[in-house]
Amino acid sequence: MSAVKILERILATIPIMFGVAIVVFLFMRLTPGDPVDIMLGESGYVSEGEIENLRKEFHLDEPIWKQLLLFLGSAVRGDMGNSYTQHAPVSSLIAERLPATIELAVGALIFGLVVAIPVGIISAVKQHSVIDRASMAGAFLGISMPAFWLGIVLILILSVHLRLLPVFGRIDYEAGLKEITGFYVLDSIITGNKVALVSTIRHLILPSLSLGAAMAAIVARVLRSSLLEILRQDYITLARAKGQIEFLVVMKHALRNALIPTVTVVGLQVGVLLGGNMIVETVFGWPGLGRLVVSAIYARDFPLVQWVVMIYAFTFVMANLIVDILYTCLNPKITL
Amino acid sequence: MNHVLDIREVDRMKRTFTTAVVSVLILLFVGSVVAQEFSRGGTVVVGLSDRMMSLDPADHRHRETETVIRNMFDGLVTRTIKNEVVPELAKSATLIDPTTWEFVLKKGVTFHNGEPLTAEDVKFTFDRIITEGAIEYPEPHTSQRKGLTGPLESVEIVDDYTVRFHLSAPWPPALQMLVHQQIVPKDYLEEVGTKGFIEHPIGSGPFKFVEGKLDEMIVMERFEDYYGGADDLAPVGPAFLDRLIFKIVPEDSTRMAALRTGELDIIQKVAVHMIPILEDDPNIVVKTSAGTRPCWMEMNPNKPPFNDVRVRRALNYAVNVDLLIKKLLGGRGVVLPGSLSPFNNFADRTLQPYGYNPDRAKVLLAEAGWTDTDGDGILDKDGQPFTFVIDTIGRHKDKAEAVMGQIRDIGIDAIVRVWDYAVAKPLILAGERMAWVGDWGDSAFDPVGHFEAKWHTHVKGSPYGRGNFSSYSNPRVDELIEMGEVEPDVAKRHKIYDEAQRIIYEEAPAVFLFLPEEVEACSVSVQNWEPSPDSRINLHDVWLSK
Repeated sequence: MSAVKILERILATIPIMFGVAIVVFLFMRLTPGDPVDIMLGESGYVSEGEIENLRKEFHLDEPIWKQLLLFLGSAVRGDMGNSYTQHAPVSSLIAERLPATIELAVGALIFGLVVAIPVGIISAVKQHSVIDRASMAGAFLGISMPAFWLGIVLILILSVHLRLLPVFGRIDYEAGLKEITGFYVLDSIITGNKVALVSTIRHLILPSLSLGAAMAAIVARVLRSSLLEILRQDYITLARAKGQIEFLVVMKHALRNALIPTVTVVGLQVGVLLGGNMIVETVFGWPGLGRLVVSAIYARDFPLVQWVVMIYAFTFVMANLIVDILYTCLNPKITL
Repeated sequence: MNHVLDIREVDRMKRTFTTAVVSVLILLFVGSVVAQEFSRGGTVVVGLSDRMMSLDPADHRHRETETVIRNMFDGLVTRTIKNEVVPELAKSATLIDPTTWEFVLKKGVTFHNGEPLTAEDVKFTFDRIITEGAIEYPEPHTSQRKGLTGPLESVEIVDDYTVRFHLSAPWPPALQMLVHQQIVPKDYLEEVGTKGFIEHPIGSGPFKFVEGKLDEMIVMERFEDYYGGADDLAPVGPAFLDRLIFKIVPEDSTRMAALRTGELDIIQKVAVHMIPILEDDPNIVVKTSAGTRPCWMEMNPNKPPFNDVRVRRALNYAVNVDLLIKKLLGGRGVVLPGSLSPFNNFADRTLQPYGYNPDRAKVLLAEAGWTDTDGDGILDKDGQPFTFVIDTIGRHKDKAEAVMGQIRDIGIDAIVRVWDYAVAKPLILAGERMAWVGDWGDSAFDPVGHFEAKWHTHVKGSPYGRGNFSSYSNPRVDELIEMGEVEPDVAKRHKIYDEAQRIIYEEAPAVFLFLPEEVEACSVSVQNWEPSPDSRINLHDVWLSK
C-alpha cells in the first residue's frame, strides 16, 4: 500500500464530509421544532423583539439555502459557531468531551477484541465442544442484551452488592489527577500518578463491558464461522501434512485470512460504538459527547448537533479506511 | 445500733460528691469540644440528575443549575424550607412606596477573593440582568433571568450599603422573586470578563469554587471568611463541611446505586418505585418536601366535545385522583383542588377537589347528550363515539395512560400519544390539539410566574399564556391575573386570586390531578439537611456525623 493511495483516500473523505454536512443540516432544519422557541421556552420574558434578535443572531430568518452556504463557509474556515443552548463555542464544548468518548470507545473496543478473538479461535478449533457451545450461547446473550440493561445489571451486581467496582464517573476526585490531554489513562501515566491510573481503569471497566459486549459477541461469531470455513480448505490440510504444529497452522495460516471478514465487522462496529456511547454514557454518568448531543438534539441546538454528527461521520470513515489498510496487510493481493 | 455518720464518712462523701461533679463537668466540656471537632469537616457529594447550564448566576433558567449556584452565591434574600422569605445579604428590605424597594446591606461581607460586597455590586448585578445584550460572551445577549425581574426598571445606589430598586409598576411578589437572583462581584467580573468569570466564578456564598466542568462535576470548598448567611437560618457562620462536590448522574437507577454504595451522599428526584428499596437500607434516609410541579390534563374548550362545560366537569368527576396518587406516586402527593397548588401563598383554601364521582360524571355527560345508545361500552352522540387523543411527553406517559384507563370506565375512549416537546408545543399553543397531560413549575409559591403562564389567554411575544396548553381564554380571568400582578394590598390580592381560581374551577378547562411530593434521599451521616420545596440543596448548615 502506498502513502499516495492513503492520502488519496483521506482526501476523498472531504466530499463525504460535505455530503454529511448537507444532509444533517437539512434534516435538522426540516424537523419540526423551533430552537428559538425552545430556548426562550419557559423563560417568562419573551418579547417579539427578543425573538427577532435571536433569529437574526443565528441566521434563522434567512432562506435555507443561504443558511447552508453560511454554514459551509464557516465550516471551511474552521469556525464551528456557538451553541444555542450553552452560550459557549461549539469547538470548546466538543474538545472538552471528545477525549472521554474516545477513551470509552477504545476501552470497549479493547474489551471486545480481547474477549472475541480468543473465544472465536477456540470455538472454531474445538467446534462442538462444551467451550464452543458455551461461548456461542454467551455470544447470543451478548447480542440480545441491550447495553442499557447490561450496564444497570452490572452496576447492581458488581458495584452495589459486591462493592468491587465504582458505580459511575471517570475517576475518583481524590486521586488528584492533573488533566493534560483529557485522556485520563494517558494523563495518569504522564504525570506518574499511580492512584489515578488505577482509579481510571477501575472506572472504565463496567462501561467498557456494557458498550463492548454486543460487539464482542458479533466479532466472536464472525471469527468463528470464517475460521471454520478456512480450516476446511486444502492449503490447511497441506500445512498439516507438511508437519506444521497445529498452533501455527491456526495462528499463522488460518487466522490471517479469517481476520479479513472479522476486521470488516469491527470497522462497522465502530459506528455502533459511537451510537451506543450515548446510552452507556447516560447510565454511567460518563461526561462524553454522546450525552451532549442527545440533549442538543432535543433542544434543536443546530450547530452543536451538526458538528458532533460530522465528527462521528469522520470517525466512521477513518475507521473504515484503517480497515482497508489492514486488508492489504492481511492479504497482499488486495490493494487499496 | 444507729448508724451515725461520723466525720470521716461525711468528708468522704463530700470528696466523692465533689469529684463526681468535677468529673461530670470535665466530661461535658471535653465532650462538647470533641463533638465540635466531629461536626466540622468532611466532604459531601451530591448527585444531580441533569447537567448544569452555566456557572453565571445571571445566565440560565434551570433549577439544577440554581441549586449549585446558590451554594457559591448569595442573594439579597433567601427562603426558609417553610417558604418564608428572610434577609440574606440584605439586613433589611423596606417598601418605601408601591414602586420602590430599599435594601440595606450587611457590612463586612466579602467575596471569595476578599473584595467587599457593597451597593455597587448589587447595582451591577441587576443592571447586567435587566439591560438588553449586557452579557457579552460568547456573543452579546440578554440575561435569561430578565423575565424573573418583573417590572424592575433601575437600581439606585443611595450609599455604599443602601440600594433602591425602582419598579415601573407595583410588584407584589418582589421578595419571592428576588430569592432567585444572586449577587456577583462588579470589579472581578469587569476585570476578567464573562468568559473569565465562568471559568472561575467568585461569589459571596458559603462555599467557593475550586474547579469543575458543567457536564461532570463541580468542586467547592468552605469559604472561611463567610459572613454567616441568613440570620434566620441557623447556624450562622462559616460552613461545617470542608468540601462540597456536585456530580452529574442523569440515570435514576445509577444515582440510587451510587447512594447505596456511598459514592453519593445526597440525591434528588428519587423515583417512586425506588423508595421502598432505599427505605430498607439502614444507611439511607428518604426525605420528602412539598412539591412544586402541579399536574393536570388540560382540555381544549374550543373543540367539541370539550366545548361543553358539563363534559369538562364530568371528566373531573370521572378520574379517581386519590387512586392515581396511591398507584403512580406511592401515596406521595396531594390532590389538586383547582388551578393553584395548595401550598401557594394565594391558593383559595375554600376550594374542594371535585372528587371521584363516576355517577355524577355519567349524569353530566347524559345531560350533554352523551349516552351509550348502541351498547358498545362507548358513549356516543349523534352517531359519533366519544373518542379523543391525549397528548403528552415521555415523562408523563404513565399519568396519561392512567387517566385514559379511568375514563374508559365511564365510556370514554381515549388514546395516548407521546410527543417530543419541541414538536408538540407550537401545535398545542395554536389550539390544534384536544388534551394535554403535563405539569408546570410553581416554585416561588406566588401566583406570578405560574398563574399567568397557564391560565391567561396566550399572547404571543409576552409571558401571558406561554404555558396555556388548553387554549383556555376568559377575559375576566385575564383581567384578574393582570390586576393581581400589581396589587400591593395583600388582602385585595387574595380576593383577586380567589375569584380567578373559582372561575377556573367552575369552568374546568382541565382535569385537576395532583401535586407530587419531591422525594429526595441522603446517607445517614448527613445532618441538618432537609429538602426544600424549591429544590434548593442548601449545604451551608449541614454537617457530617461520624
